[in-house]
Amino acid sequence: MRKYLARSIVTALSVAALLTLSATSAIGQGQPEPPGVNPAGGGVPMRSLERLKAKSSGPAPRTANGKPDLSGLWGPAPNFGRDISAALKAGEKLPLQPWALKLTQERLPKDDPEASCLPAGIPRMSPFPWKIIQTPQLIVFLIEGNVHTYRQIFLDGSGHPKDLDPTWYGDSRGTWQGDTLVVDTVGFNDKFWFDGLGHPHTEKLHIIERYRRLDFGHLDFEVTIDDPGAYTRPFTMYGQSPLLQNTEIMEYFCVENNQDVSHIIGKTR
Amino acid sequence: MKAKLGLLVGGMGLLVAALPALAHHAFVAQYDASKSTTLHGVVTKVEWTNPHARFYVDVKDKSGKVTNWNLELASPNALRRLGWTRDILKVSDQVSVLVAPAKDGTKMANARTVTLADGRKMVAGLAPDQQ
Repeated sequence: MRKYLARSIVTALSVAALLTLSATSAIGQGQPEPPGVNPAGGGVPMRSLERLKAKSSGPAPRTANGKPDLSGLWGPAPNFGRDISAALKAGEKLPLQPWALKLTQERLPKDDPEASCLPAGIPRMSPFPWKIIQTPQLIVFLIEGNVHTYRQIFLDGSGHPKDLDPTWYGDSRGTWQGDTLVVDTVGFNDKFWFDGLGHPHTEKLHIIERYRRLDFGHLDFEVTIDDPGAYTRPFTMYGQSPLLQNTEIMEYFCVENNQDVSHIIGKTR
Repeated sequence: MKAKLGLLVGGMGLLVAALPALAHHAFVAQYDASKSTTLHGVVTKVEWTNPHARFYVDVKDKSGKVTNWNLELASPNALRRLGWTRDILKVSDQVSVLVAPAKDGTKMANARTVTLADGRKMVAGLAPDQQ
């Protein structure tokens, strides 16, 4: 039995290897691909940022008032684009309510707000950098894309205003718990998708983010989603952003020349 | 045994990682990588714009008929970080472009590598997978 299993696995491995090879060679009409080109099309994940990752692994810096200094240009974390399920703990599934699962399955790529250059909301990330500007009373995220935008996180001890109008990024208030920045956000609209697969939410959405600069080059974060309108229980996702150097936030006004939407005809992503 | 299983899982991981996507729209819903081909032609226009830089290429078929293709690159911010500058492609340049054509049959395609008139080969795409 063990022998049979081992042989099956070796066979499966060979098939997987062949599939990989054929995917590489079937394209390009015999031309070798230059390094870094994804044979399935579209390039390589976040390739444009790879060489910009900071090499230093020294300790995280601190501000004059002794708090961890989160300032810097950060890269996107994997798993916060196409399918946020990938950012859950291994083996965990998104606790979607039945209507939310049905809606996710019915949504089409052409209807993704991002395809129409609308904001990503939280926690979805684009393949572009984002920048943290930190002061004792206010932390600002400058977001290069999918839309060129910002978030303000107030640390002045004030609470969320009452009667918030629903918005794409909500209202964020921050506190320090030890070396962790805890960001509490409410006041969301229900228009953005959590990811490319279209995982939905409602205006009841409440997000708690926890940011911790592990060392000079890495920012760890957790995002807890609490939306009793669309999910059966709160759930938490995990990510890590690399510090980027030798680049800056660059302009990205997506609506400038967006020709794509009418050509997005497929059902899969 | 465990090592073999690990290799198998690793192999499958490679396949999954090969699934592409773009910054703001789903690659596979718009382009068909299985029909990838190389276009040879002359640049007629360059748009250094967001969300994608684009260039247009006149491609002549065997009968002499000329078709103008609309070719999508990554966005200018990503292209700059990949080493492009906006004057790398110029009108009248002769180029060869490895493309994945649009699924809807229009003369649009996602450019993946561009071989420039001087022989340089430029990576044109950007695919977060994160997406």
